[in-house]
Amino acid sequence: MFRIIKKSLRIGVVTGRYQKANKPELPVTPEAQDRARLFKRSLAIREVDTGSCNACEMEMNALLNPVYDADRFGIHIAASPRHADALVVTGPVTVNMERALKDVHKQTSDPKIVIALGDCAINCGMFKGSYAVTGPVERHIPVDVRIPGCPPRPAEILAVLSELQGKDNTA
Amino acid sequence: MSEAIFCDDLLTAAFPGILKHDPICAKSSHFTVPKDRLPAISHYIHTQPSLRGRLTLLWACDDRPVRDSYGLYYLFTLEASHHWVVLSTELAGHDRLFPSITPHIHAAQWYEREIRDMFGLIPQGHPDLRRLVRHEHWPKGTHPLQKDFSWNNVLERQQGEYRFHHIEGEGVFEVPVGPIHAGIIESGHFRFSVAGEPIMQLELRHFWKHRGVEKLFEQLTLTDAVLLAERVSGDTTVGHALAYCQAVEALLHLEVPRRANYLRSLFLELERLYNHLGDIGAMCNDTAYALAHAHCGRLKERIMQLNDRLTGSRFLRGVIEVGGVTQDIESRRLVEIVEELSHIQSDFSEVGAIIFANASLTDRLETTGVLNERTAWDHAVIGIVGRASGRDCDLRRDRPFAAYDELPVNVALYRYGDARARLRVRGDEIHESIRLIREVRDKIPNGPIASQPRSLPKPGAWTLAAVEGWRGEILYMVMAGEDGRIHRCKVRDPSFVNWPAIQWAVLGNIIPDFPLINKSFNLSYAGNDL
Repeated sequence: MFRIIKKSLRIGVVTGRYQKANKPELPVTPEAQDRARLFKRSLAIREVDTGSCNACEMEMNALLNPVYDADRFGIHIAASPRHADALVVTGPVTVNMERALKDVHKQTSDPKIVIALGDCAINCGMFKGSYAVTGPVERHIPVDVRIPGCPPRPAEILAVLSELQGKDNTA
Repeated sequence: MSEAIFCDDLLTAAFPGILKHDPICAKSSHFTVPKDRLPAISHYIHTQPSLRGRLTLLWACDDRPVRDSYGLYYLFTLEASHHWVVLSTELAGHDRLFPSITPHIHAAQWYEREIRDMFGLIPQGHPDLRRLVRHEHWPKGTHPLQKDFSWNNVLERQQGEYRFHHIEGEGVFEVPVGPIHAGIIESGHFRFSVAGEPIMQLELRHFWKHRGVEKLFEQLTLTDAVLLAERVSGDTTVGHALAYCQAVEALLHLEVPRRANYLRSLFLELERLYNHLGDIGAMCNDTAYALAHAHCGRLKERIMQLNDRLTGSRFLRGVIEVGGVTQDIESRRLVEIVEELSHIQSDFSEVGAIIFANASLTDRLETTGVLNERTAWDHAVIGIVGRASGRDCDLRRDRPFAAYDELPVNVALYRYGDARARLRVRGDEIHESIRLIREVRDKIPNGPIASQPRSLPKPGAWTLAAVEGWRGEILYMVMAGEDGRIHRCKVRDPSFVNWPAIQWAVLGNIIPDFPLINKSFNLSYAGNDL
């Protein structure tokens, strides 16, 4: 017990110990911001992997670690699309995942925001044209926000999400 | 060398009809065998006590543009000497049938189903001929790796149904999970049959994320395709890039400078470190021990930020190229790395002490998801999962690559095969990796960091390369095509081998323990589905 407390005291607070990202490459559109306003200061995210190489997943997971701690901005991960305000989609949409993506989009209650995370989700990246890939996310469902990068750093993801929420999360 | 002669003599004496070729690389033998004798010869290699060959890779190749035949290749690793034996055979003309070796060698099961899907060749006598990669809605007769199938074909959809194995009886339920899961995980489908709490059967249905990686390789040149190899499985960026580059360098007869080899080992160990730290945290999280998860998440983040500072990529992307590495690390930076890692090591030792002092956590881990040594052998299980089940294999020691011939590795080995053993292997390997990086700092020579490829390989030349990534043995088979292009590239992530074994490890466990068992394996879906 004392060991645990001692350790925690010695480590202190690590939240925020990362290099802050610059302004997002692709600005968030006013329409997406309008829609995000409905969710006030919180955002429940459902992550859907449609064929990524799992680097984007790792960076999404990193958002939840003590260093980035996205929860402090009201961003949390929902276990079901029915509980979600936003879908984060990673990877080019593969032939085998196409139907699952459409289903998940249908299951997410309106209003909703779709975020394409990573180059693959935006333009298929290196997998463009492959027989097993049906196209970028926006070919199947309407996309509101795009976060480029291969993969984007957690700080970059956080910067876009805060712009979407219309608040300054860089502090 | 004597090992090679011994094994070759044994095989040629037992099977006089087989034809010996020049070895494809060091510590290997290559034989051509008649198609109908394949099951007997592979069974002999697998079971003969002095050989004990583990099926390491099975791949096919469409040679029709040149030779009017398909080639089939079987790679075995001999248990004691880690010598490679390649058996190859040809299906000439319109022959589309080959004898299945699955009835004797369980580990061939997915390979043969994959060949059937990708090439349309049929393994005769295979006990399970359902589709594997091609889901039910793929039209009949689409076999993407055939040379007359165009890489950018647009597939139509057809109606179809995948038949799961059902267990019937009073009180037996089926629980379908996936392809989309509750956490931030990749896509895959699991079908449990349970009676009460214990799992009676688990069936995997994967390949949701099949992106056509092997076909895309065939559209690229040998030097450009490193970028694609890095994206086979994002968390193993260095492992895959390195295995691919080693194969290409062997084809080009390219000598990699010694300094580059040391740097490659450094990057590989950094990758192992951040993944193992993340896994230990995630396993603790699945036992609801959030504190340890937070500590490990913090440590993992420190290494990823270190990666970012060193190379400009948190995943070490773009550092490995054909011929060497793209970035040098000055000795001043090396000292900094070692200093940072020493901090991380003492920090992690304290976290480890906290983890193992927690009785409720160890209670949850012990005897959970046991994969015994016999099952691990039958499935040819490798990597951390294998080493937790008493399979003493680590390519860094057994077939040294990069700088590992000068950096001896102590291999972590446990025999219980439960989740705790898999956690223990990772913990030990973290300390070992940091020790190796210290050795890199002490031993790294000065010199150039890359050599330029000068020639193009002969079309049809092929080779194999293997790397011990953090998950286990990564294999690449690269066959050169015309004008420095790739004729065929077979990628094998360790996940492809270890996934089927999880179906045996969960038996008798309860479904709430499945996430923990799955996390203790932590296999890649992307690397498996390709």
